[in-house]
Amino acid sequence: MATTTLHPAAPTYRGARGTLYEWVTTTDHKKIGIMYLINSFLFFFIGGLLALGVRLELAQPGLQFVTDQTYNELFTMHATFMIFLFIIPILAGFGNYVVPLQIGAPDMAFPRINALSLWMLPLAGILLLISFVTGGSAAAGWTSYSPLSQDRPLAATGSGQDLWIVGLVLIGTSSILGSVNFLVTIFKMRAPGMTLFRMPIMVWTVLVTMVLVLMATPVITSALIMLFIDRNYGGSFFDPANGGDAILYQNVFWFYSHPAVYVMILPAMGMISEILPVFSRKPLFGFKAFIFATAAIGALGFSVWAHHMFTTGAVYLPFFSLMTFLIAVPTGVKMFNWTFTLWRGQLMLKTPLLFALGFLTMFLIGGINGAFSASVPVDFAIHDTYWVVAHIHYVLFGGSVFGVMAGFYYWFPKMTGRMLNETLGRIQFVLMFIGFNLTFFPMHELGLSGMPRRIADYASNAAWNDLNVAATIGGFTIALSMLPFLWNIFVSLRSGPVAGDDPWEGNTLEWATSSPPPPYNFDHLPEIRSERPLFDQRHGQAAGH
Amino acid sequence: MATDSQALTTTTEHSPVGGLAHDSTGGISNPVLGMLLFITSEVMFFSGLFAAYFNVRANAAQWPPINPETGEQFHLAILPFVGPATVLLILSSFTCQFGVWAIRRGDRTLFLRNFAVTFVLGVTFLIMQGIDYALLASEGITLSAGTFGTTYFTLTGFHGAHVFGGVIMLAVVLYRGMAGQFSPRHHDAVEAASLYWHFVDVVWILLFSLLYLLPGK
Amino acid sequence: MHPLRHPRNAIFLGLLFVGIGLVYLFVPLIGGWHVDYAGATMLIALGAAMSIMAYVLIAGSPND
Repeated sequence: MATTTLHPAAPTYRGARGTLYEWVTTTDHKKIGIMYLINSFLFFFIGGLLALGVRLELAQPGLQFVTDQTYNELFTMHATFMIFLFIIPILAGFGNYVVPLQIGAPDMAFPRINALSLWMLPLAGILLLISFVTGGSAAAGWTSYSPLSQDRPLAATGSGQDLWIVGLVLIGTSSILGSVNFLVTIFKMRAPGMTLFRMPIMVWTVLVTMVLVLMATPVITSALIMLFIDRNYGGSFFDPANGGDAILYQNVFWFYSHPAVYVMILPAMGMISEILPVFSRKPLFGFKAFIFATAAIGALGFSVWAHHMFTTGAVYLPFFSLMTFLIAVPTGVKMFNWTFTLWRGQLMLKTPLLFALGFLTMFLIGGINGAFSASVPVDFAIHDTYWVVAHIHYVLFGGSVFGVMAGFYYWFPKMTGRMLNETLGRIQFVLMFIGFNLTFFPMHELGLSGMPRRIADYASNAAWNDLNVAATIGGFTIALSMLPFLWNIFVSLRSGPVAGDDPWEGNTLEWATSSPPPPYNFDHLPEIRSERPLFDQRHGQAAGH
Repeated sequence: MATDSQALTTTTEHSPVGGLAHDSTGGISNPVLGMLLFITSEVMFFSGLFAAYFNVRANAAQWPPINPETGEQFHLAILPFVGPATVLLILSSFTCQFGVWAIRRGDRTLFLRNFAVTFVLGVTFLIMQGIDYALLASEGITLSAGTFGTTYFTLTGFHGAHVFGGVIMLAVVLYRGMAGQFSPRHHDAVEAASLYWHFVDVVWILLFSLLYLLPGK
Repeated sequence: MHPLRHPRNAIFLGLLFVGIGLVYLFVPLIGGWHVDYAGATMLIALGAAMSIMAYVLIAGSPND
């Protein structure tokens, strides 16, 4: 039986409504997860608006709309919001909602700390937003390299940079507390029968992600603190005139920020690994290989950080180039596994699968142009050009954002009890896919022909005009695709078809309870003998493992 | 005075985590596990600061560098404050652990006494460090005194901040202990606080060895 | 017990990073190339932290 009846004593969760007070003071991982999503999407839109500002200025040579300084603020804060207040938290938010359900737990291990982690985010976001009106935001790039990010010798940034540092330290703390929470939850609170190797891939990717967060985030906290001390207390960490080293900042910064990119992609890969089997009506190909590939990516991710610093002359090039190439191996294993999951499957071309297919193709492109960049001579040519911008957006937008959209369409019915509209979903997908490629594909050519990053203006005889216009049109198309998305949510929340417990015929435990689940998650858990407990329940047990 | 009942826990004294707070499902209790993981993240925080220290030290022609005010190399004095403070901090780890063993046995009085001593020793450490800072400042060693001052004050300053956090934790545990909230079977907060305190002590031993004992160049 | 379940073996994960860190430190040192002390420190500390983390997670997990 796939349906569960709500215990009479459970408060009604229809539409996941509750009073404002209930939401603000909740420690329920499901409500907290949803608020993570809301906060993250809010900053996605803000970051998107900043990107539109960038694209508007770059469409034509010459400074039409903003000054150089304002342009620097635009791209700095675009990246800052997108990385720290959108992609990392939204994946944590999905994890928050889904992981306890998928392991059959009633909540996270530390519900109050969970709430604390959540509320630190809008607080940090407000600090970052305030900086726009208190004399200008940070403007030294999201990487904030010294000496540009210090006020010497040029007063390039003001208090905005300090607010930026404080905001990021808050966000980092939120992440670290979250990672402790997830790790204890996953290791201590699994339902009986759910061994580590029977956990869904989503839980595994969240596990590895949280190890990365736990180990790497404190390092950027230390880099930011050192920067703060240099800026405000006459410190000399990064000041060569007093014995410091500007490259030291980059070294410590990237020791975190490289593992951070795996933090930004692994949970999205987990979501895709949940969606592809369900919508191909086939088990995930190579389940165990997946787990090891995920662990390998996590481990290798710590050994490649200096590939962001190849051109500084201070890096042992062969080591980092080799390790960077090596990471392509477990990633390739995953691509093959996903492809063979789809192969000869009975594909249900619903919106989650569309976005998953978008993920596979776009992330593949991002992986390939990244593999090129791993080669030192190539990197010397394309470092700090638009080739890199193309790479990062193909993996982060083509990969993570498409993954997020797939996951959103997949789990929205569970969270709200309503189905999202398929037609609107398809319209969003098509607009987003076209817009995304129109924006970022030309950047490969722009980078190869030498257009540098982070410039507000470019020469009109560089032959970059047309590609920039194309990219700007693409950017606005992406913005357009947000309209059917928002309309879909609005309409479906009010009058979408009722979802029931298990609208997709899923494999994992979250589909074994009502939509939305009661506060304590499960009235009754099915027997767990494999990584697909619901499939087993529906079809009689296959050989468990 | 109650002892652990084997019927209710599945972690025996032969388990690798036999000493730590038991969980009814076997294994380490959630709050203690959480604290251990948090401590590993703190290790990484200090690693970033240590990384900067080693880098700066390696790049310097001379270490300690020359103090522009005196024309001589910077010098950090172990006496009269830092050496004794170190001894007190190490002592406090012992009293802390005695307290933990006491509450595991059910001896509330001894637990409270030991934790109170630990608290006092921790506060004393902070006071002595503060006085030492003032002394150093009077000799021209401040945050802005080149890389030497910056690294010294950042490293010891953040360690001090962690000691301060630990002191607050000990105070909370003391308060709860005096209110009778801990028993041999339920004292997760005591275990967690003591683990954090030991960590703070280990970091200091490392810092002290690096900053005061490692020969210069 | 399956080898992957034994807490002592979990430490090998962290020791791997310590090993990489030591290679990262000593190969350039002995070879006379530029030594990245910062990177080596962070890698070795990472190894230590990972060992502790892996051990407590495996040893601290329930017995099923």
